[in-house]
Amino acid sequence: MSKVIKIDINSKQGLLDFLEHLLSNNEISGVMSLRKINENGICDYGLITEVDDLKSIEPFAPVMPVNASHILSSITPAKKPIIAIIKPCELRGFVERVKRKQGSMKNIITVSYTCGGVLPLNTFQSDDNEKIVSEYFETIKGTDTPENVRPVCKACEHFIPMTADITISVFGNKDFNSKSCLMMNTEQAIKLSKSYKCEIVEKKMDDKLMDEILKKRKAGKEKLYKEIAITKDGLDEFVDIFGKCIGCHGCSRVCPICYCTLCDFESSNYDYKVDLIENELSQKDGLRLPPDTIFFQLGRLNHMSFSCIGCGQCEDVCPAGIPVSSIFKKVGESTAELFDYIPGKDVEEIIPVMMIKEQEFPEVGE
Amino acid sequence: MEKEFTPRITSFVCKWCTYTGADLAGIGRLQYPTSIIAMRVLCSSRIDPVFILKSYLKGADGILIGGCHPGDCHYETGNYYTRRRFMILKSIFDSLGLKSDRLRLSWISASEGGKFARVANEFTEKIKKIGPSDTKRNMFL
Amino acid sequence: MANNGAKISFKNGLQNQMRDFLKECMKKGIFDAVVLPVRVPANDSYAWILMNDISIVDQANPIPPVMPVQGAKALKSLTRKGDGILKIATIMKPCEIRATIELAKLSQVNLENITLISYDCPGAIPMSIYNNLSDDMEIFYNDVVSENNFVSEKMKEVCGFCVDFSDVPDDLHFGFTGLENEVYIIPNTGKGNSVLEKLEMKSSENLSQWKKNVADIKKIKSKNRIDIYKQVQPTVDGLDNLQKTYEKCIGCHNCQSACPICYCRQCFFDSTASEQSANTLIDIAEKRGGIGFPRDKIMFQVGRMSHMSLSCVSCGQCMDACPVNIPVAKIFSFVSSKTQNTFEYRAGFSGDEPIPLKVYKDDELSKIHEIVKNAESDGSEHE
Repeated sequence: MSKVIKIDINSKQGLLDFLEHLLSNNEISGVMSLRKINENGICDYGLITEVDDLKSIEPFAPVMPVNASHILSSITPAKKPIIAIIKPCELRGFVERVKRKQGSMKNIITVSYTCGGVLPLNTFQSDDNEKIVSEYFETIKGTDTPENVRPVCKACEHFIPMTADITISVFGNKDFNSKSCLMMNTEQAIKLSKSYKCEIVEKKMDDKLMDEILKKRKAGKEKLYKEIAITKDGLDEFVDIFGKCIGCHGCSRVCPICYCTLCDFESSNYDYKVDLIENELSQKDGLRLPPDTIFFQLGRLNHMSFSCIGCGQCEDVCPAGIPVSSIFKKVGESTAELFDYIPGKDVEEIIPVMMIKEQEFPEVGE
Repeated sequence: MEKEFTPRITSFVCKWCTYTGADLAGIGRLQYPTSIIAMRVLCSSRIDPVFILKSYLKGADGILIGGCHPGDCHYETGNYYTRRRFMILKSIFDSLGLKSDRLRLSWISASEGGKFARVANEFTEKIKKIGPSDTKRNMFL
Repeated sequence: MANNGAKISFKNGLQNQMRDFLKECMKKGIFDAVVLPVRVPANDSYAWILMNDISIVDQANPIPPVMPVQGAKALKSLTRKGDGILKIATIMKPCEIRATIELAKLSQVNLENITLISYDCPGAIPMSIYNNLSDDMEIFYNDVVSENNFVSEKMKEVCGFCVDFSDVPDDLHFGFTGLENEVYIIPNTGKGNSVLEKLEMKSSENLSQWKKNVADIKKIKSKNRIDIYKQVQPTVDGLDNLQKTYEKCIGCHNCQSACPICYCRQCFFDSTASEQSANTLIDIAEKRGGIGFPRDKIMFQVGRMSHMSLSCVSCGQCMDACPVNIPVAKIFSFVSSKTQNTFEYRAGFSGDEPIPLKVYKDDELSKIHEIVKNAESDGSEHE
């Protein structure tokens, strides 16, 4: 049970009203949210500090130009409270970043919502954005995930925000266009809303509904994993998937988990002297240039897979069209499972490679 | 006559336990195959999983990691980290259809010369059964 | 450009002829190894492969329909560090050769043991189109090559207005524009000449007809170029337009990492030097009422222009790599034509010509006086 603010206008207006109140009363110093930047509906993330500018926000827009956890990292630690309206996976990404000391939860009040998925970047480029978006919102009133969202979104089981201070029901919410409910999950959120005059009720999320969505998402996941399944043992299928990688490392740059300023695989550790390459050539008929394209993928999996939140950003920016994110999500689940770790679940948890347990994996080492 | 396949096994061994164990095997004149190419590291946790990946992709038929028994690490907890990293790598290999059988982690203490020889023999036999690594032939890696 | 070349007639397609040529060279020990594009096992792309086995040359396609990785990058990864002993040849598209030469000037490629071979380039198909329809595109591109079609509309946009599809300072050049089942092998340098000598090929054929054919196609492409530049100009005119053009930019810097010229291990714009602290960002937001993310979109784009536009070879890799379809390559081509004209420099056209920013002359850029004067008078108007 948590305290819920009820407002009798549509969800976006309700949230806007709440934010306007907080901002004009100096309860918060800014709002970070998606906002519309042109008449075509193209959105970017903005940090808004003027009440008048709040009107441009599109808090629930089904796009992810950047994984917001990157942005939150750059504006934290914040000296004054900021409200950040982000998607559940972005929130989990931020939690993972905070665990890696790439940001701070201090003074950040997170608002998140049950997410119906994100449209791929190239879908959101066309002129009929408005039609696409309205169809999207019509679909997610029910329990079905729209067909045109990112492949990983269709397979995402964590559509309910895990650690948000304020949760809004969007996916599966029939009353999305008529009522707004802001669930206050934490003390911080309740304290913040004290000055806001409104109807407050005790309410819980509709578990039955959420279970239904979860069931469908699980089926979606099964379908996705079947599509990308590697059926044969050996290198061939793996090379089929990643063979077209052009080594641009775009996937790692947009990844919320890959925070290194200089990726290990771009460092001078992997510059080879020409005589080394020539020597290798004498043992093999052919060598790929530039080297290490596939090594990079395996290496990156090894570095971050257990924290992969499956946001799908990598797949969207891949110029070669490799299903990066689907594969990373699948592999990530298998590595995180080893440690019963759910990325982004709890900011107090330690990432698996930074901690040990004495009694584990007894079968290893014999 | 077909040439018999002699595997090349890259082996990263911890200076305090396994390397000394291997030495002991030598002193005790225990037989173990020449396929093992041992590289001494200060602690098994020095082994970046990326080393293992690199050896695998560059054509090693097997990769053997040797460290102290849990609890015996010279640096107290190093090998626990190794164990976690090894499990992550194994899991990645399994989910991508790569043969994780080619990876092996063994705890061998300084006094276990016999165990070192046994592990080396066993692992070489196993790799022989699996066959040469297909990374040797693939030019698209 | 040489005036004479050797002429070869062929029956089984140009690609086969080129492969045979390389194999012959390898057999005679002229080259120890070659770098060529090979179709990947899944058939949906190409990868550069360094090979010393003659049998693998048959798998390679010297004129690939796509350019997933710019050849200059492949050569860079091979020769950046140390001196090799193998004599290596590579067949690349003209823009890849030009980028290689620029990189050599920037000390990123060592051309000592490398023989650069190029050809009259019909263009490259955008990667996203090839990825999904690779088999159809293979057939289509084969036809394009055999029909000598240099103005196909399915190619990358930059290829449509590439006037330098044949002019390139390679060691050996395969010229086939306007010829049927024949190709000229043209030695442009001493290296190229010695290869032909070793093969006992005489370069005695006069090239005037081929040159005329090339000039004809150049005319069409120059016209396209003027048209495209006219289209691009208003979209980048002034800060407002520039912002509008780049509003979709998500700051992934794929354009930079796909660029053959951007060789920095760590881009300045990815480094901590261009990072702002949280407090600074929040202060700016409070002053302006709001700020958008990612920060510094224009800073990055214009900054990158200032860093590398003098060496831009208009290969179009940046546009292929952009996930939000910003016409980066067209803009860079437009801007670099201006910056390169300022110094009467053409990127990658001569190995001897130094990069403009590395040299200066005492009397040059006379226009600058005018610009300074105009700026001063502009300034006084505002006062």
